Amino acid sequence: MCKHDIEALRAAGFDDSKILECILIVALGQLLCTLANALGPSLDAGLPVLPSIESSRLPEPVEWFETTGPYLQPSPPPDSNFQPCAFFQEQFGFVPKIFQEQMLRPDVVDAESQSLAQILIPEDLLSRIAKEHIVLVVSAANLNTYFVAVHSQMLATLGVPLEDSDQIVEDHRCAAISPAELALLDEVRKLAIWPGSEAQFDTAGLQAHGFSEPQILEAIAMAAVTNFLNTVQAGLGAVPDFPPRRVFTRKDLYPSVSASRLTSGATFPDDPDATAVARVQGGDTGAFEELVRRHSRRVFSTLAGLLANLDDARDVTQDVFLKAFENIGRFQGRSKFSTWLTSIAINTGTELLRQRRPSESLDQGEEGDEFRPRQIQSWADNPEQVLAASEMKQLVREGVLRLPEKYRIVVLLRDINQVSTEEAAAALELSIPAVKARLLRGRLMLRESLAPHFVRVQKRSPDAQLR
Amino acid sequence: MLSCAEFLAEFGDYLEEVASPKVRARLEEHLHECKTCKVIVDTTRNTIRFVTDCDSFTLTADQVEPIVKDVMSRIRDKKS
Repeated sequence: MCKHDIEALRAAGFDDSKILECILIVALGQLLCTLANALGPSLDAGLPVLPSIESSRLPEPVEWFETTGPYLQPSPPPDSNFQPCAFFQEQFGFVPKIFQEQMLRPDVVDAESQSLAQILIPEDLLSRIAKEHIVLVVSAANLNTYFVAVHSQMLATLGVPLEDSDQIVEDHRCAAISPAELALLDEVRKLAIWPGSEAQFDTAGLQAHGFSEPQILEAIAMAAVTNFLNTVQAGLGAVPDFPPRRVFTRKDLYPSVSASRLTSGATFPDDPDATAVARVQGGDTGAFEELVRRHSRRVFSTLAGLLANLDDARDVTQDVFLKAFENIGRFQGRSKFSTWLTSIAINTGTELLRQRRPSESLDQGEEGDEFRPRQIQSWADNPEQVLAASEMKQLVREGVLRLPEKYRIVVLLRDINQVSTEEAAAALELSIPAVKARLLRGRLMLRESLAPHFVRVQKRSPDAQLR
Repeated sequence: MLSCAEFLAEFGDYLEEVASPKVRARLEEHLHECKTCKVIVDTTRNTIRFVTDCDSFTLTADQVEPIVKDVMSRIRDKKS
C-alpha cells in the first residue's frame, strides 16, 4: 500500500470515507483470521468444506509498503469530550496518530480504544509488559516500523529500557526473558500476518509452561488486535509518533521469507544432537545409545552436585535417560537437546531433594543484601601447587556441596558442565540476569571457602579492606 | 569512581569477558586504584579455574559404559 494506491482508488470514485472503510474491513479480516488460526474452530454447521489453502500457493507481496503517509485527508479534530482521546491521554500520555487519522470513523476509534482497554491494559491475566512484548514481536514480524517505535516508547514509560525492547524486536529468543515468556512469544509470532507460518499455534505447549486458558486467549487476542492495527497503519501510512529506532525496509522483506521462522517443529540451530534425536524420534532406538554415551557425564555431574551423593547420582542418571527416551517424541527442538536433558536432570534431582527435604526450594528469590567478601588476602603465586591434585579435587567438591542449592546448581552448570548462561537459564527456567546473579554469588561463596587453603603467608596489607 | 560494593555488584560480566567496553573501562578504573578488589578478581578467577579443571563430579570412562548398557537394557525391557 502506498500513496499511489490511494490516489488510484480516489480516481476510481472512492472518497476517503469509503477508502478508510475498505482498510478497516481488511484489518478486521486479519483480526478474525488471527483468531481462527489460533483457536482452530470447527466449521459452523451448514458451511461447505473448502479445500485448505497452502501457503506456498499464496501470492507473495511484490510491493514494499512505505510509511510515507498520512495518505488520507486530515480528519476533523475530535470533540474535546471524545472519550477515546481521554483514554489514550490517560494510558499513553498522547493520542497516537494511528487513531487521529481514523477520525472519519469515531465509532471505530471508540471500539479500538475499548478493545485496548479490555486487552492491553489489565494486569490480571498477562502482565502489561508481556502484552507489550506481544505487540512488539508481532509488529516486528509484520515489519511495521510504526508500532515497533510507538510500543518501544510505551515500554520505556513502563520502565523497560529501549535496548531491551530493541532485543525483543530483533530476536526475542536472545532477550532476557523467562523460558515461559519465550515460548509465548514463539507462539504469537506464528500468528503474524506476514510471512504466513504453517506452524500450528501450540496451546498445549503453552499450558505445559503454566499458562492458563484465559491467559492464552488474551495473548491470542493481543496478537489479533496487533494484526488489525498493523493493517490499519499500513493502509493509512501513519507516521510514527516517535523517531523509530528500527526502520524496516525492503531489505528486511525478502530475507525474512527464507529465514527460518520460529516454529514448534523447528530444530534449534547448530544442535549437534539433532540427527540422533531425529533418528530416535523416527523409531531408531539404537540411536539413543549414542545420546546416552555423549551426555551421561554431564547428567551425572549435575546430579552428583545436586544430590551430594555419587551412588544416588548414578541411579538417577539412568532414570533421567529413561524419562528422556519416553518423552523424546514431545521434544520439539525449542532448545538444544542437551539443554532439554539438563532440565530433566534438574527437575528429577530437585524432586528427589524435595521428597527428602521438603522445606528447601530452588526457586527462592535473590537475596537483597549484597555479598561482602571476608577473605581479601592474596593467594600464593601458584595455588595449584599448594595441594595435591586429589586434595584439590576433594576441597572443590566439598566447597561446591556446601553452597546453598540455588547457587550450587548454577555453578555446576556453568563452571563444571560448561553450559552457556543462556542454556542454564533455559534449563532452570530463570532469567539470564538471575542466572548471572546466582553464578557470581556462588563463585564468591566458593572462593571464600577455598581461600584459607591458598592465602599467601604474609602480613596483612594496611589497605586490604573494602571501601 | 565506583565504590567496592558497586564494583562487586557488576564484575560478573567482567569475569566472563562479556562486559561492554564502557562497563569494562569503569571496572578497570576501579581495579587500578583498589588492591582489595584486584585480589578478589584474581582469586575468583583462580576459583573458577579450579572448579572447571579438577573434575570433582566427573564419571571416568569406565564408569560411563555400564550406565549406557543399563539404560539401553531398561529401554529394551520396557519395549519388549
